[in-house]
Amino acid sequence: MRLLLHGLPASRGLALGRAHVREPQMREVREERIPTGAAEAEIERLHAAIETARGELMRMREQVQGALAHELGEFLDMHQLILDDPELVLSLDDLIRTALYSADYALKLQRDRLVAIFDAIDDPYMRSRREDVEHVIGRVWAALHRSPVSLTPGIAGEVLVCDTIAPAELSQLTERGVVAVITGAGSALSHSAILARSLHLPLLVGAHDAVAQINDGDALLVDGHSGEIIIEPDADDLRRFKRMQRETVRERRSLHKLRDAGSVSRDGVEIRLLANAESREDVAHAYALGAAGIGLYRTEFLFMQGTEVPTEEAQLLVYRDLVMGMRGRPVTLRTLDLGADKADRAGIALSDEPNPALGLRGVRLSLSLPGLFRSQLRAMLRASAYGKVNILVPMVGFREELERVRALIASCKTELQAEGQAVAAKVAVGVMIEVPAAALALGSVARKADFLSIGTNDLVQYLLAIDRSNDAVASHSSPLHPAVLRVLREVLNYGQRRGLPTSICGEMAGDPEHTRLLLALGLTEFSLHPNNLLEVRKIVRESDLGALRQKRGRLLRAVDRAGIEAALKAL
Amino acid sequence: MLERELSVINRLGLHARASAKLVQLLGGFKSNAFLIGRGREVNAKSIMGVMLLAAAQGSTVLLRVDGPDEEAAMEAAASLFARYFDEGD
Repeated sequence: MRLLLHGLPASRGLALGRAHVREPQMREVREERIPTGAAEAEIERLHAAIETARGELMRMREQVQGALAHELGEFLDMHQLILDDPELVLSLDDLIRTALYSADYALKLQRDRLVAIFDAIDDPYMRSRREDVEHVIGRVWAALHRSPVSLTPGIAGEVLVCDTIAPAELSQLTERGVVAVITGAGSALSHSAILARSLHLPLLVGAHDAVAQINDGDALLVDGHSGEIIIEPDADDLRRFKRMQRETVRERRSLHKLRDAGSVSRDGVEIRLLANAESREDVAHAYALGAAGIGLYRTEFLFMQGTEVPTEEAQLLVYRDLVMGMRGRPVTLRTLDLGADKADRAGIALSDEPNPALGLRGVRLSLSLPGLFRSQLRAMLRASAYGKVNILVPMVGFREELERVRALIASCKTELQAEGQAVAAKVAVGVMIEVPAAALALGSVARKADFLSIGTNDLVQYLLAIDRSNDAVASHSSPLHPAVLRVLREVLNYGQRRGLPTSICGEMAGDPEHTRLLLALGLTEFSLHPNNLLEVRKIVRESDLGALRQKRGRLLRAVDRAGIEAALKAL
Repeated sequence: MLERELSVINRLGLHARASAKLVQLLGGFKSNAFLIGRGREVNAKSIMGVMLLAAAQGSTVLLRVDGPDEEAAMEAAASLFARYFDEGD
């Protein structure tokens, strides 16, 4: 019989599949005792499981890369700390040794006790850490049963219905072909939700009745947009689903055709879509999708991987491959942007600054380490012999900083030429516009640059004084603030007047929801993640720039987010 | 054995990230460490213990350390509290 349930949409998308219900693991564990004298062996079994869980977490920590690395990494560290917690481990040992409970039952008791304590906390944020404790204990429990949490057999094509889901588990489930996930608990702000969105996996959370109402094998229609779950959908539902599915397929196909299409607006203006990249795969992907070049190559990843600082030669090989991989299309290499949230393992950046976002980061750090900086600049200049290279300098707030970088580049170039190394005659030097001082006093900093690249992530953070990784305030972090739009407009205007190529390389540039806004503000160069390139290109091709720009007055006059959103709708 | 009253001055109090920093810091010392606040005593090397204390901004906790490197551990912990747990405010 058809039944409609509701959850909170946490990741969009539509899916139809067989329900796979996973009962909360711990709830079923019965009181179980072990014979006297078996305690030490049972404790050993438990500790082996804890070791396995620790190994899994460490492997995942090593595997997470890219944009999610920081967020997921912090979260995995927290799980590691819980796993190492002496309170957790010692009380488990005690329960087994003195009460002769089985390891399973001891885990269940410990979980119940901790959950009850967390549930009693007043602060909603701290209360929600309960999920972390549950995930860690669940991981140990699974290791005890030699069934890795996510390795449910035959889950391909199914909709997983469960109580909660850990982020690491989500990515494994996607690989195994799960089509959607519904959880009884959780929030749309959780790490899992963020990850599901980047995996394009529909996710509904907070569907309280789901585990109780849905049975294994039920046919489920999941709408990640509206939050609807239809159990045993009827003929009308299925027709609707098929129609929407066809639309999605058509959309994807038309996106596919866009690979070889230009990024020209309806009124004939060419928009340059460049790619942000940090790995060789990203570069290959960007080239195949027809990116006009690499607009931002983040070199810090080279420095974050190993425990040693990469040499000039090692850097040259990476930059050279990158330049050759783009076959003549321009590549913008950004000098080291370590510090703040990006620490390295070689010990270059300070780790105990009281206020890292305002500390020794970006070009400030590079200028404080001239030897290291020179070797990076030399490697970049040498790579310029293989194709068009631009050098981009992050976190510039003072004119002198850029002057010093330019002097260093000039001296490295002379040095290389004296050594008989090939260097391109012209290597453009640009600045990131992300420190508000540079964005406001354009005549001071930008005037000295060959091109500008607006880093909206940091610019928004500094303009609004909001750390978006801080859960307590993150919900207010949005580029849709009158101050942000005004600054963007000013910078774009300045670039246009002075003939300085100006791009945006923050996440905003890759968000299809913001494409028309940026076009209206006058942006003609986007640097975005390759995954978003086709979608943004599609919007560009459908847009009439002249018409959009005529309407930008209303956008710029809006006094708050609601006003900006209303003006956006009218674009 | 050393004891010192520490004020929680960072805006978010001893929430998850600050708790993690304190536990990681104390985990590097040999001494045992306990936090006492709101009538509860918890192991200061336990992430869950410290999180469950849920000390808010403006509250005071008593840190007790006992062991061969108690002075260094106390200094390091007191400095972390005084630095707003490196959170800026």
